[in-house]
Amino acid sequence: MNIDIKHIAKLSRLRIDDSELAGYEKEMNDIIAMVESMPDIKDELTVDPQNVMALRPDEEIGEKIPRDEILKNAPKVVAGCVVVPKTVD
Amino acid sequence: MKLYEYNAFELSEMIKSKKISSKELTESVLERKDEVDGKVEAYLNFDREGALAAAERADRLISAGGVKSRLAGIPIGIKDNISTAGIATTCASKMLENYVPVFNATVIDKLSAAGCVISGKLNMDEFAMGSSTENSYFKTTKNPFDLSCVPGGSSGGSAAAVSCGEAVIALGSDTGGSIRQPASLCGVVGLKPTYGSVSRYGLVAFASSLDQIGPIGRCVKDVALLQDEIQGHDKMDATSADRSYASLYDNLSEDISGLKIGIPSEYYGKGVKPEVAEAVTSAVKELEKRGAKAVPISLPSTEYALSAYYIIACAEASSNLARFDGVKYGYRAKDCDGLIDMYERTRSEGFGREVKRRIMLGTFVLSSGYFDAYYKKAKLLQKRIAKEFEDAFKTVDVIVTPTSPSEAFKIGERISDPLAMYAADICTVTVNIAGLPALSIPCGYSSSGLPYGMQIIGRKFDEQTVLNLALAHENAFGGFRRPKL
Repeated sequence: MNIDIKHIAKLSRLRIDDSELAGYEKEMNDIIAMVESMPDIKDELTVDPQNVMALRPDEEIGEKIPRDEILKNAPKVVAGCVVVPKTVD
Repeated sequence: MKLYEYNAFELSEMIKSKKISSKELTESVLERKDEVDGKVEAYLNFDREGALAAAERADRLISAGGVKSRLAGIPIGIKDNISTAGIATTCASKMLENYVPVFNATVIDKLSAAGCVISGKLNMDEFAMGSSTENSYFKTTKNPFDLSCVPGGSSGGSAAAVSCGEAVIALGSDTGGSIRQPASLCGVVGLKPTYGSVSRYGLVAFASSLDQIGPIGRCVKDVALLQDEIQGHDKMDATSADRSYASLYDNLSEDISGLKIGIPSEYYGKGVKPEVAEAVTSAVKELEKRGAKAVPISLPSTEYALSAYYIIACAEASSNLARFDGVKYGYRAKDCDGLIDMYERTRSEGFGREVKRRIMLGTFVLSSGYFDAYYKKAKLLQKRIAKEFEDAFKTVDVIVTPTSPSEAFKIGERISDPLAMYAADICTVTVNIAGLPALSIPCGYSSSGLPYGMQIIGRKFDEQTVLNLALAHENAFGGFRRPKL
């Protein structure tokens, strides 16, 4: 199988250097060759009624984390806001 | 004998009877870390002042009768993908090199409430992707039994630290064998609990339907003690099982008379080193002398498990790791030309090669035109594998297999061959696929002194039977053998 690494990388929001393309292509092809051996199973995916997830109740969180503390992890902050590159001219 | 050499259950009694203080014990572990971590490199972040302050706090609480936990005052190492408020949690990635969580994982809150001492954060494969800890961005942890060999992975730092005495016990996480395989390679005991029995809240997600936090210790009792402390329902984790949990430690028993041990032929043949299979087989014979009965069984879909595992795990990883985009936290590439450029460069520079390959593989199997051929097929296989285990457990109580197909391999030996690396997980991935509990315990040593591990798999939520059999084996085989460093 020919996997278009550049296209898959784009979908994954990754950029792969041309010098690395061949290496990734070989590794991905080897892995795909391994998984090709999986047998066909005539069945459909269904939700298991025994294991339905109980979602968290929609309730207000009592303990609040201060904004400043959270923003300490942000790469760029101005006036209490996270800054990203300009998206609209 | 120095304090760091004792097991947690012994230290617990010593602290309770005031023979030692938590501070003395923590200082002993700190000394041991100074002595050997330069060689083993298990820790990424060792919080000396924090650990000593926590130990003093534990001593005060214990004196005042404020904590009842058996683990009060015991130092615990934490894998670096488990969120610790105020302590860097890097997942061994450049992407999170400077990330300091503002909240604790539920397991950390539980351990803190129990009066435990967090000794530091332990090395791992980047985002828990790997079987050797060589994929860490920061350093490669060494196997304490042979410093030229890998400790296994992805919880390699946790297993190595416990093995060489830099931690009394540790937490790891297991998505396809990441607690059991390094436990096997480092000669310690590691438990992957039933999916849903330990909260994943605050565990940085790799593959959410397979990930599970679990304990690593030098003996079965220590693993039971730590599992007792961390198990339980948590409303912050939608996949957490809402049920009651009895104490595993209190109910430990080495009486295994009448216990039926399933021996699946698929785990003892192709791909598994004959010496490893023989070590497990002779351990089972010893267990038969103690009243258990070995029953041959078959789990025919095992040969496809690795394929199904890598498809499901990578598909989930590609979605989970989409959150690392350089916006709110983590690494951001410099001088970006627009938002898309920032996303792409941040992720390309911040993630290592293994992580990038798994994200791309996951994206590929979920992409238009390939979903049915790969992802859907893998999910259907998952159902079949789980059913085969379910059927097997109608006739046997536990299933015993090798943990890793071989002893620890040399550093660098498999790093450039993903398929050779993935083969390290052939005996362990099925357990995650089926959501079962399983434990690895030493059962033999190679001619060069490297440990072999035996895997005991149980029914869902039946950690007790797994631990009881492990205890019987530990008593028959002999306990932990300390590596010579």
